[in-house]
Formats: sequence, C-alpha cells, structure tokens
Amino acid sequence: MIKVTQDEIKILSKYIKDVSGVHLDLSKAYLIETRFKNILEETGCTSYADLYTKARSDPSKTIERKMIDAITTNETLFFRDSGPFELLQHKILPDLIDKRASKISNFFPLPIRIWSAACSTGQEVYSISIVLKELLNDLSKYNIKLLGTDISDAAIAQASYGSYNKFEIERGLTRDKLQKYFVANGDSWKVKDEIRILANFKKLNLMQPVNGLGKFDIIFCRNIAIYFTVEDRKALFHKIADILEYDGYLIIGSTESLTGVCPRFEPKRYLRSIFYQLKE
Amino acid sequence: MKNLKILVVDDDPVTRLMLKKTLSKSDCDVDVAHDGVQAVELISRRFYDVVLTDMMMPGGMDGIDVLAATKARYSDTQVILITGYGSVDTAVTAMKKGASDYLQKPVNIDEVLLRLAKVSEIKALQKNAGDLREAMDITEKNAGETIQLLEMAVSGLENKLEDIKDILSQQDGDAYERIDTALRMLA
Repeated sequence: MIKVTQDEIKILSKYIKDVSGVHLDLSKAYLIETRFKNILEETGCTSYADLYTKARSDPSKTIERKMIDAITTNETLFFRDSGPFELLQHKILPDLIDKRASKISNFFPLPIRIWSAACSTGQEVYSISIVLKELLNDLSKYNIKLLGTDISDAAIAQASYGSYNKFEIERGLTRDKLQKYFVANGDSWKVKDEIRILANFKKLNLMQPVNGLGKFDIIFCRNIAIYFTVEDRKALFHKIADILEYDGYLIIGSTESLTGVCPRFEPKRYLRSIFYQLKE
Repeated sequence: MKNLKILVVDDDPVTRLMLKKTLSKSDCDVDVAHDGVQAVELISRRFYDVVLTDMMMPGGMDGIDVLAATKARYSDTQVILITGYGSVDTAVTAMKKGASDYLQKPVNIDEVLLRLAKVSEIKALQKNAGDLREAMDITEKNAGETIQLLEMAVSGLENKLEDIKDILSQQDGDAYERIDTALRMLA
C-alpha cells in the first residue's frame, strides 16, 4: 500500500478542509490511507501528492467528489439517540404549532420548516418525517418544508432514493415502524411514498453561506461540527443563528456543546434532552 | 473457524459423512440432513451459522427451498449451495435470493474450508462492529448526560454573571448595597 507522508497529510488536510470543512490533523494518516486507497488506484496516482494535484486540476471535480464521499463519516441510524425525536414529538412541535396557530388564520395551512443540516444517508430526515406523520394526523393542514442537506453526493443520492439495506434498516427502527413506513424491495427496504414525499434533499457545503435556504423553525445540526475546527464551528453556528426563526429550535448532537462556540444560543432542558433557542 | 454451527444437507451419504467428519475435525459443530424436509425441520429447532446444502435433492425440496426456509427463519445464517457441474445459472439465481456462496461438485474439501473461514471472518468482524457500536452508544449516552448538565450549569452561571454585571454597573444608589446584592446573588 502506498504510504502517505507527513507533508502530504498537511497538503491534503488543508485541501479537505477547504472543500468539506472536515479537519484532519497529522495523526490521521491511517484515515487518509484507508479512505483514499481506492481513489488512488482508480485514478492511477503514484502518490498522495499526485492525487492532490489531479484532484485540483480536474475541471469536472469528479475526484474531489469522490474524496468528499470517502472522507465524510456516514455513521447514522434511524432515531439515533431517541431523545431528540421524543423532544420533537412531545415538546417542540406542539409548542411551535400552538405559537404559530395563534398568529395565522385557520384558513391557511400552518407552515413548519425543518432543516437537517448534515443528513448523511437520510435516516434523520425520515425519522423526522415519521414523527410528523405520527403526531400530525391530517398533514394537509400544514405546509411542511423538510430539507435534508449533506456535502456528500453519494449520501444525498441514497437519501433521495430512500432505500436501505438490512444492516441500515435494523438499526434504530422498531418492527412496527418498519412495517408501517417501509416496503421490502428484494434485499433492501424502501421508505414509503407518504414519508418520502415530505422531504427534500440537496447537496450543501456547510462552509459556504447558507442564507439562501430561507428561515427555519427547527434545525437539526447533529454530530457534524465535531469534525470541524473550533473556528469553523463558531462560524457555522453563527450562520445557523442567522437563519433560525427568532423563536425557533436548534438541536445538536447529544455529546456536543455550544459553550464558547456561539453565545447567541441558550440551552433549555426538557426531560432528558437539551434544545437551544436564540437569546432574547 | 472454531465453533461454527453448521448444517450439511445432502442426499448422498458419502458426501454427508465426509463433510461431517472433516468439519468436526476443524472444531465445527456439525448436524446433517438427508433431504430438504429434514433440513427445514432442523432449522426450525436450532440456529446455524452456516447451512451447506446440495442443490438437487429428492423429496420435493431442493437447495433453493432450503435457502428460502433458512433465510425466513434466521437472516443471519449464511447459506452455501453445492451445485452440479455446469449449473452456474442456478447458482447465480441462488445468490440473488440471498445465498452467500456456491461450490461446484465434486466438492473439494479445501475449498469448503476456505469458504467457511471467510464466513467465520465476517462473523468476527460483525461481532467486533457490534461491540464497538455498543461501546460507542454507552460512551455517548454517559458523555451526553455529563455535557448536558455542564451546559445547563454554565448557562445558568453566565446568566447570573450578566445580572451581577448589570447590578454593579448601575450608577444610582449606594455602591456598598450593590456589592452586597451582587455577593448574595453569587452565593
């Protein structure tokens, strides 16, 4: 196997950070080698420096896309850490609907805008769809915008297709939910149209401006900022604060913290979970 | 490869006996069935890591039926089919239906052992991934609880400090009184 040198790690980690935000320090040689090994072979590169040069000079950005797909961690599962979904179902959505309903005439469908900022292969988005479907019986009364974004083309493609193999489907879903919201398709399971139709997916690099997405009532940004430097983390949560509705809700990963990252948010506790709101 | 639970299904007594003897020597736990019907009965009673089944068997149930019955009961069980010479198409059909591999007759025991070693390796990797996931879940849950408590505590303190700053920066009233109020707030 071709080994990566310390100088190559420096060059590649800067490049990866520029194109994806993912921060790799010098200790991540093994990660570079295991994740880029196949791309190195496919492109016929003789070294990692060669791969860098080829990726930079490739106008189609195919190599860059492959590198992003390879380096991003798609560790996700349905209802990952049940806390946020209980929070969504029992606290956030009921509160939000109450607040919005008092302001909008019954004649119009109530807008609910949710963004899953790093949705990976879609499990988080479909878990949200399932919660919406279970909580709000008549969805025609609501104008739901549920957007999932991720930097990886491969992840977005799978999320859009909504198909999962048996290992993916076994993680986090109860048998009841599986039967209710998925259809078996050979060896895999496909999310039913009624759940799929609620969601939209789009490729997005969180290092880039996000204000083009519009405002959101609820933002899920879980377990992605952990791969960023503190500076990039700060920038990201400031951008999120800008597009979160003034009384909206932010949910981050269960082991993440905004202390020292973004003073515009205030943590609030409900049962065994935390959500964040903008300070008044 | 140690301790794999294997079911050998073959109507040919010589192949059955040869496989049972050789695999038992490799520390596998081997059961045998002489046709598909007996195999399905055994599968309904016990979990097997691997079912090694002949494709063509008398008695109305062939290898594909054994494969379907096994997968319906335990999707984790690996099914390896033994096919006659020139029946690659049937083998491919079987693979599409969930068989993990196929072997061509006459059965070469080294090839069988090689396939089983692969199954064993996959099982070990799956267990390792499961263990890691379990460890990660526990760590994440514990860390999450601690971080949440800290996050709430820090936020409370920050709010308190803001209030104290407000009190101390007020221009009117007695300065000692303001300090006194601030100190009481800290306590």
